[in-house]
Amino acid sequence: MENPVGLAYLGAGLGSGLAIIGGGLGIGKLAASAMEGIARQPSAAGEVRGAMIVAAGLIEGATLFALVIMILLVLK
Amino acid sequence: MVAAGFLPAGSSFMMFGALVFAVALAASPQPETPKESPAAAASAVEAHKPAVQEGHAAGGAEGHEGAEEGHGSPKEILMHHVTDEAEFHPFGLPFVFPGKHLFFLLFVMAVVIVTARIAIASYKDGAPRGIGSVVETFVVYVRDEIAEKSIGHGEGAKFTPLLLSFFFFILFAALIGLFPFSSTSTGNLSVTLALAFISFVAQQYAGISKYGVVGHFKNLVPHGLPAPLLVVMIPIEVLGMFTKPFALMIRLFANMLAGHMMITALLMLVALCYPISAALGIIMIPISIGMALFIMCLEVLVAFIQAYVFTLFSALFIGMYAHPSH
Repeated sequence: MENPVGLAYLGAGLGSGLAIIGGGLGIGKLAASAMEGIARQPSAAGEVRGAMIVAAGLIEGATLFALVIMILLVLK
Repeated sequence: MVAAGFLPAGSSFMMFGALVFAVALAASPQPETPKESPAAAASAVEAHKPAVQEGHAAGGAEGHEGAEEGHGSPKEILMHHVTDEAEFHPFGLPFVFPGKHLFFLLFVMAVVIVTARIAIASYKDGAPRGIGSVVETFVVYVRDEIAEKSIGHGEGAKFTPLLLSFFFFILFAALIGLFPFSSTSTGNLSVTLALAFISFVAQQYAGISKYGVVGHFKNLVPHGLPAPLLVVMIPIEVLGMFTKPFALMIRLFANMLAGHMMITALLMLVALCYPISAALGIIMIPISIGMALFIMCLEVLVAFIQAYVFTLFSALFIGMYAHPSH
């Protein structure tokens, strides 16, 4: 390959975009369901919100793994 | 509000920094012919290097100049902003500290201890005053909503001091990191590794102190599983034992790092756009300050969320080992 550095930049850019699409979809779906749950049962808002933050944290963690790999790909 | 106190300091600093940056750039000579670089993306970045270097040296907003060659390219500024340094002069003092992250780690530790002492001393007739009442709100929340609910009644109280240490350390580290000339010690992988290791030890302690060493490791897999399933379940559960603190480590590190990288990158937009066209650079000033300010506000929120999430996940994992599935 003539210039692998450029491909690494390209891979990092595309990869971080894909990772964000996945994470965004996941958290969006989660937030939509949580909103619906709170709207149907406003008295359970606190519990739904707590459970939502836990799940959002897990999804975010997986996305951040990918993003850390992208940062390493660009900076190393 | 805690946030209100931080915002004026941050925004005025950034506005001043960006203005100095732009003035220095306008005064600096136009870059010469760009060097031939292997990658297209790299050469575009390299072309702006001299101008950025000038701006960096004159503005000096990000800190002192490093000794190594090539310091001043966007990548170097970005890395300088978020990584640890060998020699660090806090607030321009003549003393040398081992590293800015270590310095701010110790500083945040001192702040947490002093805040806790002030809060304890502020109790008069069984009611707290001043800072004590703010700290009490968080303490009661962590004890009742995080520890007691995740670990269980009675047992939660045993782990509350540890969880509170996590909460206040991460919160203060992130908030103090937003001040000008400071740095977020939790944006260092070694610091979050230490935090996650403490959490890991607490998780194992919760299981071992309750069921004994043998009972604890037997509890990793649900009882009464058929033998063929055990071949799959035991490696998964043993792996899960280590991935839980590993995820805690990466989550906190990446969140703290990402915000500061975003702020630096957005502020560098001015410096990167100016060599293309002077008008573009000047148009970029309010845009980049506005976006950096938005991320700055978001960082105040993220500080609270990450402190909450780290504490909550530690408590959940401790509870998971204290109450294994049967």
